[in-house]
Amino acid sequence: MNKMILYKEWLKTRWTVLGAAVVFAAVSFYCLLNLMKIVEIRSGAILWEAMVEKDAILLNVFRFLPALAGLLLALSQFVPEVLHKRFKLTLHLPYPQNRMVLIMLGYGLVLLTVLFAVQAGVSALVLRGPLVKELVWRIIVSLLPWYLAGWAAYIFTSALCLEPAWKKRVPILLVAAGLLYLMFISDTPEAYSLFLPWLLGYTLLSIVLVFYAVIRFKEGAQD
Amino acid sequence: MKRIGQIFLWCSIALLALWQIPSLLNLLTLKSISTPFTLYSCTVHDFTALDRGDGTAFKFIDTKGNVHGEEAQPLFYASVLASKGSLPDSLEGRKISLEEIERNQVIASVRPKDVNKTKAPVYLLMESVPLRLELQDPEDALVSRKNGIAVYNMEGNSLLTDKTAALAAALDSLDFAYPAKLFSGNPSHHKAYDEGYLVTDSQDRVFQIKQVDGKIRLRHFPKADGLGVKFIQITEFENRATLGMMVDGENRLYMLTPDGEVMPTGVTYTPEKEDLLVVGDLFYYTVKTSDSDGEHFFALKSKDFSLVATYDRPYPKDWSFPGIYFTSSLDNWVKLRWRGI
Repeated sequence: MNKMILYKEWLKTRWTVLGAAVVFAAVSFYCLLNLMKIVEIRSGAILWEAMVEKDAILLNVFRFLPALAGLLLALSQFVPEVLHKRFKLTLHLPYPQNRMVLIMLGYGLVLLTVLFAVQAGVSALVLRGPLVKELVWRIIVSLLPWYLAGWAAYIFTSALCLEPAWKKRVPILLVAAGLLYLMFISDTPEAYSLFLPWLLGYTLLSIVLVFYAVIRFKEGAQD
Repeated sequence: MKRIGQIFLWCSIALLALWQIPSLLNLLTLKSISTPFTLYSCTVHDFTALDRGDGTAFKFIDTKGNVHGEEAQPLFYASVLASKGSLPDSLEGRKISLEEIERNQVIASVRPKDVNKTKAPVYLLMESVPLRLELQDPEDALVSRKNGIAVYNMEGNSLLTDKTAALAAALDSLDFAYPAKLFSGNPSHHKAYDEGYLVTDSQDRVFQIKQVDGKIRLRHFPKADGLGVKFIQITEFENRATLGMMVDGENRLYMLTPDGEVMPTGVTYTPEKEDLLVVGDLFYYTVKTSDSDGEHFFALKSKDFSLVATYDRPYPKDWSFPGIYFTSSLDNWVKLRWRGI
C-alpha cells in the first residue's frame, strides 16, 4: 500500500519535480559557472575578499528557489486532490488516515530534501576548489534558512490546499507569511545559527496544521 | 489532533500579533533623535557643540552655554581657517603648522553590529612593506583553527606550508594559547600603512601578526597580559600614535602604543552595547560612547591619553511598545527576544 501511495504521489508531481530539478540544476550551474569564471579571469582572492570583507554569501541567487519549489510541489500534490474531490476517496481507503497523510507529506519533504542536499553538496564541492573549507561551511550554513523556507512553504501550502474553509485559511496564510518573512529577514552570513534549531522545530511542528486541515476536510467544514 | 492543531494555530497567531503589532506601532511613533556634533576644544578647554544657526557661519556652544566662533575648533576646521588666513601660529604654548595638524587628525568608529556577529575565521593578510611602496591587495590569508593558524594563498587556495610552519613556530615560542579569540585588522590598501592584525589568544593575551617582506612577523604585548582583553581594534592612524584600542573585562578602554605601552584612558565603553566614535587632533582626543540612554563624551590628552574632561548628554527616555522582536540594532543575529516597557 505504501508503494501505491508513493506511486500515486509521483504520478501527480513528476512534472513539477522534474521541472524543479531542471531549474535547480540550471540556476546552480549558471551561478557556479559565473563564480568560476570570476576566479579564472580575475582571481580566487576576489571570492575570499567578498566573503570576508563584504559578508557576501556568493549564492544569493538560490535565495527564493527552495521556497518556490516547496510551494509548487505542494500545489501539484494537493490541488488535484482537492479540485477533483479525490482526497475524499483517498481518505476512505482501507488504510490509517494519519499514516497516509504522513506518507504524502514525507514524500514531498524527502524529495525537497534530496533536491536541496544535491544543490548544496554540488555547490560545496565546486566552491571547495577556490575556497578554504571554513568559507564553504559558512556558505552552506547560510543557505540553511532558505532550505528551511522550502520546507515551510511546502507544509503551509499543503495545509492551505487541504483546509476547506477560508475562515481558517486566512490565519494559516498569515502565519505562513510571518514565518517566511522571518526566514528571509536577514541575509547576513550565519545570522540564523543560534535560532535555526528553533525555526526547524517550529516548522516541523507546523505539520499538525496539515492534519488539522485533513480532519476539518473530512468533517466537511465550510465557511 | 484537532485540539493540538487549533492550539498551534492560535498560539502562532498570538506570537505573530506580539511581533508585528508592536513593530508597526513603533514604526508609527518613531521619533529620530538628532544631536549636535561635539568636540573638545583646545582653545575653550570645554566640549563645544556645533550649532549651524542660520547657516551663514558656524557657531559652537560650550557646556556652560557660551557661544564661540570657528576659533573654538581651530584644528578641526584648520584648512578652512588657513584659507581665510586666520589659523593661529601657535596653540597650547607651541608652534603648529597645517601639515602637522592634518597629519594628526584621526577618526575611528565602532558599532555594536561590528562586534556582535558571527565572523568567518579567515583574515586577509597584506604585505606591510610592499615592493612598489604602495599597499597592494592582499594575496594571503590567515585561517584560524582550533589548534593553529594556517596561512593560505588565496589565488590557488593552497596552504603555504613554510609560512604556516614559521608562524606556528613563532606562536609556540611565545606560548600562544590556541584557539585565537579576537582578530582586528584592516586589509585595505586605502590607508597610509599596514600593521597586520592585533590578535588575542584563548588566555586573552595580545599579539600582533603582520607580513613583512613575505615573512610572518609576530609580536607579543606583555603589558596587556592579565587585562582580560575582550575587545580589540587596530587603529592605523596616520600619525602612528597608537597601534590599537583595547577594552578589558571591566569595560575600561586602553590605548596600545607602537612601542607596546598600554595606556589607560579613563573611558568606560561596552563594545557589545555602545557606539564608539574617536575624533583626535594634535592636542586632544574626543571619545564619544553612545547607547539608547544618551551620549557620553570623554576628552583625552593626545600626548598620554589621560582623561581631561567628561560630559554626558542624556537622550529622552526611549519608549518602545513591548513585544517580540527577532532583530536588533545592536547585533546581526536573528533570534527570539522580548522587549518589555
